[in-house]
Amino acid sequence: MLNYGGGANPAAGEPMKTNPNPEDAKLSGLLREARVSPPLPPRFQERVWRRIEAGETPATSGSWLDALAILVLRPRFACATVTALMLAGIVLGTRQGAQIAKQDAQARYVAMAAPDILR
Amino acid sequence: MHRSFIVILGALGIGAAVFAASYFGSKRVAVMTMCPADDLSWLRTEYHLNDAEMAHIRQLDKDYLPQCAKMCALVAKRNAEVQAMLDGKANVTAEAKNQLIQLANLRAQCQAHMLQHFIAVSQVMPPEEGRRYLAEMEKITLGTHREVEQSMPAMSTGHEDGAN
Repeated sequence: MLNYGGGANPAAGEPMKTNPNPEDAKLSGLLREARVSPPLPPRFQERVWRRIEAGETPATSGSWLDALAILVLRPRFACATVTALMLAGIVLGTRQGAQIAKQDAQARYVAMAAPDILR
Repeated sequence: MHRSFIVILGALGIGAAVFAASYFGSKRVAVMTMCPADDLSWLRTEYHLNDAEMAHIRQLDKDYLPQCAKMCALVAKRNAEVQAMLDGKANVTAEAKNQLIQLANLRAQCQAHMLQHFIAVSQVMPPEEGRRYLAEMEKITLGTHREVEQSMPAMSTGHEDGAN
């Protein structure tokens, strides 16, 4: 009969130090044997290494596109880009407009002072 | 990845639209605001003239323009006569040649008068600006003839050969 302590056990209430019961030692051995780890699937190790390597590979084209999209959607980056583009457009447009206005004014003066028929 | 691509494409589109709107908008505004109402305003800004110089040039211009208009009318009339004389003719008659010479002489007189006006205007300006103005006006008014003459090297060689 197995005795798990209590009732009739004189050692009940005291901290368990050793297990003098030989039947308990046998039980422990049986339990240890019963806890069998399942067999690993075939080529388990190779697959683990493959997954580790996949995690270490550099970013692919898909990931840089995603990173760029994330950057573009950042409010601070979007605001800065829009402002820069607007400023560039205004500066270039004003320069071009000034150039056209100057050419028009020159053409008007020349047309007045030196008509085509005299040239 | 598909979503990222759409986001980037949309961002590029918005960026292009923002740039184009500010470029064309500011260009239009610049042309409208910087284009002078007065035909002589270009001289003031280009050659850095003061009010006194501008007033002097305005007076020179006022004197020159009626004469210029008269000469232009004469040249146009003679030109029409020559055109009528040459229309449908197989060869150039002696009278047509005479008319062509008269037209060329009249045009040369007008050009001389025009250049005299430009010289007078240039003398009102500060010396360096005056030289620049005169060079520019000569290039504009006589440069076309020079370009035509220089574009026909074979023909000019032929004339030289014939003369020799």
